[in-house]
Amino acid sequence: MAVDKQESVKSLFTAQSAKVDTNRGDAYYEKLYAQCRARLDELKELAPLNNRMDFKESIEDEGLDRRDFLKWASATTAMLMLPASFTPLVADAAVMMNRVPVVWIELSDCAGNTEALIRSDGPKIDEIILDIISLEFNETLLAASGHQAEKQLEDAIEHFKGKYLLFVEGAVPMGMDGQYGTIGASGETFHDHLQRIAKDAAAIVAVGSCATFGGIPAAAPNPTDAKGVMDVVKGKPIINIPACPANPSNMVGVILHYVLTGSIPELDSLLRPKFAFGYRIHDNCERRAHFDAGEYVEEWGDEGAKNNFCLYKVGCKGPMTFNNCSIIRYNEGVNWPVGVGRGCIGCSEPDFWDKYAYERPMANANIKAPTGGVEKTVDEFGLGLLTAAGVGIAIHAAASAVAGKKESEKEA
Amino acid sequence: MKEGYKKVERMTPAMRIIHWVNVLSMIVAIATGLYIAAPYYQTFIADSAVDKYVMAWNRWGHFMVAIIFDVTSIIVAYLYFFSCFEKPWKKVIPTPTNIKEFFAVLINLITLNRSKNFDSSHSDSFNTIYFAIFHLLLAWMLLTGLQLYVHALASGESSIGAWWPWMLHAMTDWTIPASGWINGAASGMSSLMDVRITHHYTMWFIVVWVVFHIYYQVWRTIFWQEGDIAIAFGGEKFVKDKEA
Repeated sequence: MAVDKQESVKSLFTAQSAKVDTNRGDAYYEKLYAQCRARLDELKELAPLNNRMDFKESIEDEGLDRRDFLKWASATTAMLMLPASFTPLVADAAVMMNRVPVVWIELSDCAGNTEALIRSDGPKIDEIILDIISLEFNETLLAASGHQAEKQLEDAIEHFKGKYLLFVEGAVPMGMDGQYGTIGASGETFHDHLQRIAKDAAAIVAVGSCATFGGIPAAAPNPTDAKGVMDVVKGKPIINIPACPANPSNMVGVILHYVLTGSIPELDSLLRPKFAFGYRIHDNCERRAHFDAGEYVEEWGDEGAKNNFCLYKVGCKGPMTFNNCSIIRYNEGVNWPVGVGRGCIGCSEPDFWDKYAYERPMANANIKAPTGGVEKTVDEFGLGLLTAAGVGIAIHAAASAVAGKKESEKEA
Repeated sequence: MKEGYKKVERMTPAMRIIHWVNVLSMIVAIATGLYIAAPYYQTFIADSAVDKYVMAWNRWGHFMVAIIFDVTSIIVAYLYFFSCFEKPWKKVIPTPTNIKEFFAVLINLITLNRSKNFDSSHSDSFNTIYFAIFHLLLAWMLLTGLQLYVHALASGESSIGAWWPWMLHAMTDWTIPASGWINGAASGMSSLMDVRITHHYTMWFIVVWVVFHIYYQVWRTIFWQEGDIAIAFGGEKFVKDKEA
C-alpha cells in the first residue's frame, strides 16, 4: 500500500499520543446534553427492532433491581468521561440499545471476543445490554447455517442499509489473494466478505486485537499476511477496541456513546476511544506502590509473588500499555490479569505478540520478533557495537604505540 | 612551559562546567536508565515497603539528570550559534575549507599521526562534526525521553501547571510514529514501545560515542604532545609557537 509522501509527513507531525481532555467546560457539556436529549427523544419514537427483548424485563428476569442498574449507569457515565448530570441520559440510552442494529462478523480469530461478551459468572448489566442490542447477525450465535445464514445476512444489510454498526472480530488474511480464510457456501474470502458488509455500514467497530492491529494472526512471521480492519477498509468511520479479548464494558461504552450522541467517541491516533485507552494501566495499577518501592516478583511463586509484589521483572508491560482494565477490570470488576498475578502482556497495543507478550523480564526476551527480539537485540546490538568500537580502538592504539610518530620524535 | 610552545584557550569556564555536568548526568542517566529498563539489583524483601522507594528514586534520579541535560542542551544550542568565544556551526557547514580540514584530521588519525597538515590550535572540523553527532543523539534522547515521561502526567496536570504536559505532547508526540518507522512497524501501527526501544538503542550509541571520544582525546594528547586532555580541565592547551 503506497502512502502519499506528503500525507505521511503531515500525519507524522500531527500524530497524537494519548492526550485526554477530561473537562471541556460547562458550555460544551450543556450543548452536548441538549444534543443527546434530542437524539434520545428521536430514538424513542422508533419501535424496537425485530421485537427485541425489553431491557427492564430482562433485568428483572436476571434478579437485578433498579438500584443495581442506576449504579451501573453512574459508573458508565464516569467511564465515558461525562459529568454526573448525564447519568439519566445514559440510563435512557441503555434502554434504547435495542433500536440500533448490529451486524457482527468473524474472521481470523478464536471467537474470544464473542466468548467474552456471552460468558460470565452470571449475566451482569453489560452482558444484558449486549443481549438486547439488535444483533442482526453473528456467525457464532446463529442457528442458521450455509445459504440460510447468508440469506439472513443479506436481509440485514438490505433492511438496515447505512444504519447498522458493523462489529468485526478477527484479522483479515491478505496473503494468497485472501485464500487463507473463506466463509460461507460460496467460499467468499474474508477480505471480500468484510468489504461487502462494510460498504453499507454506518460505522465499523473492530473488537479485539486481531481485528484492530492483526493481533496473533499477524505475529511474526505472519504467514497469512494478516492485517487489521483499519488497514483494509477505507472511507468508513472505524473505532478500534483492542485487547485480547476486548472488554465488554468498552464495547457497551462505544455502542452507548453512539446511541447517546449519534457519533463515535473521541479517538486516539490508533483509533481507540480515549475514554477507555487514554491512560496507561500502570498508573492505576494496584501493585504500583511495589513498583516504586523496587519490590518485584523475581520468579513465579516466590515470596514476592505471595506478597503481591510488582510483576515488572517477570515481564509485565503495564508501563507501556494503554487500557482501562486496571480501573474497570473484567467481568464487571471481578478481576484482571495483574490482579491474578500475571503480568500485563500489552494485549491492547499494536504488534503486542511480538513486542509485549513475551512474559519475561524485558532484557531476556529471546523470542523471534520482527526486530529479532526487541530489548534483547537492542542490548546485544549495543554491546556488539561497543565491542566493535573497542576492537577498533585497540587496533588503532596498538598500531599507534608500535608505529605512531610523536611530534617530538619527528623533530629528532 | 616547554620552550617554543604557547598556551591557547579552547574551553571557557562555562563550557567546562557544562562538559562536566554532562559527564555526571550521563553516568547517572545510564545507571538509573538500565535499572528502569530491567531492575538489576534487588531490594530486601524483609524491609517494609515504606522504607524503600528504589524504583522511584531511580526514576527520580533519571528524570532529574534528564532535565539538567535538557537545560544544558538548550544552553549548548544557544552557544552553538551565538557564543562570543567560538561558534561551532561555522565548522559544521560543508565549506571547502571545512571539508579539507575534516579529511586532513581524519587522515592524521588513520595514518597514526604520520601526516598532520592542519592547524591544531583551534577546534577542528572533524571534532566539531563528531560533537554534532552527539548533539543529535542527545536531542533524540531528549525528545523520546520526554514522550515516555509525559504519560506519567496522565491527568494533564503537573506541579507546574497544565501547560507543561500540553507542551510535551505538542513537541514529542511525533516521536511515536517516527520511532515506529525506525523500528520498521507498519504505518499507523507504532506504539509507545517503539519509542522505548529507540530510546534504549540511542543509549548504546551514546555509550559508543563516549568511548571513542575519550580514546581520541587521550590519543591526541599522547601523539600530538600539545596537552589536549587539559582542555577539559584547565580550558587551555599548548601549540608550537610558529615564530620560535
